[in-house]
Amino acid sequence: MNEHTGFRRSLETIGVALLAIFLGLLASSVFVIIAGSNPVDAYQRLFCEGFGARGCETFGNLLVQTVVNEDTGESQTVFSPLHGTGGHSLALVLERATPLILTALSATVAFKAGLFSIGMDGQFVLGALAAAFLGYWFPAQLYTLFGVTDPELAPEALKTIMHIIVPAVCLGAAMMAGAFYSWIAGYLKVKLNINVLISTIILNAIAVQFVGYMVNYPLRSDMNNIARTARIDETAWLIPFNRGLFANADIEWFSGSRLGVGFIIAVVAAVLVWYFLYRTTRGYEQRMVNGSPLFARFSGIPGTHAMLRAMLISGALSGIAGAIEVIGVERRIVDGFATAGTGFDGVLVAILARESIVGILFVAPFIAGLEQGAINFQFGNLPRQLGNIIIALIILFNAMEYFLRSYIAAIWRKRHIFSGKSITPAPTEASS
Amino acid sequence: MTNAIEMRGIRKYFASTQTLAVDGVDLAVAPGEVHALVGENGAGKTTLMSILYGMVSPDEGEIFINGNRAHIKHPNDAIRNGIGMVHQHFKLVPSFTVAENIMLGIERNRAGFVNSRAESDDVRRLAAEFGLAVNPNQRVADLPVGMQQRVEILKTLQRDARILILDEPTAVLTPQEVNELYTVIRKLADTGRAIILITHKLLEVKAAADQVTIMRRGQHIGTYPVAGLTVNEMANQMVGRTVLLDVEKTPAQPGDTVISAENLLVAANGGVPAVFGVSFEVRRGEILGIAGVSGNGQTELVDAVAGMRPVESGEIRFLNQIITNCTVRERRIAGMAHIPEDRMDTGLNLKTTLDENVISTAYYREPFSRGWRFQFEEVRAFAQRVIDSFQIKSASVKGSIRTLSGGNLQKIVLGRELEGHPKFIIANQPTRGLDVGSIEFVHKTLIAARDAGAAVLLISVELEEIMSLSDRIAVMYEGRITGILDGETATEQNIAILMTGGSLDDAVHAGAVS
Ligand SMILES: Nc1ncnc2c1ncn2[C@@H]1O[C@H](COP(=O)(O)OP(=O)(O)OP(=O)(O)O)[C@@H](O)[C@H]1O
Ligand SMILES: [Mg+2]
Repeated sequence: MNEHTGFRRSLETIGVALLAIFLGLLASSVFVIIAGSNPVDAYQRLFCEGFGARGCETFGNLLVQTVVNEDTGESQTVFSPLHGTGGHSLALVLERATPLILTALSATVAFKAGLFSIGMDGQFVLGALAAAFLGYWFPAQLYTLFGVTDPELAPEALKTIMHIIVPAVCLGAAMMAGAFYSWIAGYLKVKLNINVLISTIILNAIAVQFVGYMVNYPLRSDMNNIARTARIDETAWLIPFNRGLFANADIEWFSGSRLGVGFIIAVVAAVLVWYFLYRTTRGYEQRMVNGSPLFARFSGIPGTHAMLRAMLISGALSGIAGAIEVIGVERRIVDGFATAGTGFDGVLVAILARESIVGILFVAPFIAGLEQGAINFQFGNLPRQLGNIIIALIILFNAMEYFLRSYIAAIWRKRHIFSGKSITPAPTEASS
Repeated sequence: MTNAIEMRGIRKYFASTQTLAVDGVDLAVAPGEVHALVGENGAGKTTLMSILYGMVSPDEGEIFINGNRAHIKHPNDAIRNGIGMVHQHFKLVPSFTVAENIMLGIERNRAGFVNSRAESDDVRRLAAEFGLAVNPNQRVADLPVGMQQRVEILKTLQRDARILILDEPTAVLTPQEVNELYTVIRKLADTGRAIILITHKLLEVKAAADQVTIMRRGQHIGTYPVAGLTVNEMANQMVGRTVLLDVEKTPAQPGDTVISAENLLVAANGGVPAVFGVSFEVRRGEILGIAGVSGNGQTELVDAVAGMRPVESGEIRFLNQIITNCTVRERRIAGMAHIPEDRMDTGLNLKTTLDENVISTAYYREPFSRGWRFQFEEVRAFAQRVIDSFQIKSASVKGSIRTLSGGNLQKIVLGRELEGHPKFIIANQPTRGLDVGSIEFVHKTLIAARDAGAAVLLISVELEEIMSLSDRIAVMYEGRITGILDGETATEQNIAILMTGGSLDDAVHAGAVS
């Protein structure tokens, strides 16, 4: 039961996205030129750093690449996305995309219920805090409980069980923290009709300050000159692929990245959210409330419940994102983590993907890659902010959907005239 | 004399719904002529006019304005060519004032700021010129529909429209407002303007138009001088078969009371009381009509009965249960159905598909779902059944409903509300915007529901509809029921007297209990 019917419409949506990316890059080249560089070279570097395999030099290398076998000295042509020697940047992209997927799903669930919540940031950092605290404190309690004095010497059986229980507890707690925090905004909306956009902005600010305080004072672990929490116990880790599943297979593609169970959780969450929204009565309720609140009331759809439920789910997803970032990647919270704005990037991804779940799975890695490319990127005297400029411009062009769509529709029409058909498909005409 | 407009061989195919909406239609309108455009729901009337107004681009065909070939690609081109359109669903900005709406896009400014004093004066002058009294400084959201329509008409006149398209202008008006509108239309025609009038009310065509063009399934059936055609002939040509304009029904055989209201006091949106101590009852197998000029508390009364508005005091009983404070869902589960006045925002969710619209009142229970999971086969079958039994044209189960014609949208609402064999049906303006064939269909359906034992509360501003369907007629005036008449013996005159607050000493009082 999706709103967009028709293959053509999906094609058009993809066309709009690609056009927006192209125009965003085109417009950003002004800045590259001002900085005195050649845009084509700069973008090649950017994309290679973001998405390429080791040794990527040109746009073409993103797909095929010639590599020299070190042992035999022979050169051969390979399909570069799968060329993993020395670790592939795509693994890092997916690692970086994991929290983006989850926070974008979180935003989408709220948006689909007609609630413009941008509280992902606050829920994300609270989830992270919960995981960072429990990932350190909970195993310590368990060791004491079982009389283990040195974790190194803990019995294997206990460790195995803890490897399952502790991450689950961290994820569960983060989920509840995020859900509760989001629920506050939902409650304010339902009871006092306070605009969700405004309440979530305020809640974000509070959460970010709170986590900053916790990291600097109560949970500060040492006198390192950048405040940080204690490192979580090893049993709290979400296992990365290159240490777990594929540790023995020695797949180089994953090496250097902490891509792992967290990514699987994100993809599973995407499937579940899609199923929930489009295949269950509860998801239906949420979407109907969005379509028209009057209609929902008239039909007897419990709108209040639907909105609160949407906020709870949305918050839980962001909370999980925060937990995965800590127990899957960072292992602790370092001062500055809270202000990085990962949650807000999720909102951008959701908007760019037009609240489409499949779209999120493509847009999140794309944005992650651009960000990563920009960070690693050293080119002439170009600032690292180039990545952000490009992203901002793509979003801007993407917002011109109506205009781009009619442009694409015009191309279609021409094509049909040339091919001699008299039928003119016209997609976006207004009619009563 | 050259025609003000001439459309030749217009054709439009919508690929998204695979509908040939307009199929080689010719239309010519002379200056000073009121030209009616009639046809069934989905016949392509709105599409044809949208083409003339530049909102839809035709696949084939030519348009001539005053004898010159015109290329109208955008409403701005149409406005430049002196064409103005009042849409089926108004397109005003609710939060703007009347003057701001009329001057939208052509603001009078002084040093870059909107000169609202001058704008108000302009609007006042314009309104006086055409006898369309409005208050330029009132917010559009606060205006009754009749007024909003005046604003729409003034908007086109401010842009110097010589050709005026009115898409179903009377569907939402009271008889009084309708008469005023036709006076204005005639006045505009007398100034040499060409008027195209889309309507489903054939009596109005007879009364107000000079020529009539009949469309059926996108095709041009014929253009005739109105004087040479009876209403029945028009209806038959439109539908392609003989239509019964008079309702056939047997006398009611009322049974037990299904719903009763006792001394209801209901407040309007601002908190001011709108319904003062209304009592009525509807019995099994009976249609109680509520007549009245719109805005006399009918909306609030219906909302209260349907559970969408709190009752300040009084009591509602449904099948011997007190439901005064029950939720909408509880009422629906008990067997209440509701055809709302406003299908665009209340009755339907235009953002989604047909199937999701027809299950909105019962999605949470069998057969449509089990627990949280939808039973998509059942949903699909039900949606298909609604499409088939209500003959909703160019609709599909999974299709978006946004592009359906007004009449077809109403059929979706009817399908949803009537398919479940409700015990009590609130029908608020159930035939608004429907073509004669569909009206016949709706009337038959309501009577069939009555004969099957349902109680029906019918609210309509169409006196004729009330009179031909109701077994008893309650008349509302200023929030009170001023009299309940027997449907058989009530006369138009008696109702009209009660509707305007008069009293009937000699009328037959059927009373609350007859
Ligand atoms: N933009 C669109 N895309 C696809 N189909 C459309 C579009 N606009 C109209 N249609 C279809 O074309 C047909 C003609 O519609 P139109 O609105 O012109 O009917 P109408 O004669 O005005 O009917 P009504 O009296 O109910 O308003 C309908 O079947 C409708 O579903
Ligand atoms: Mg129409």
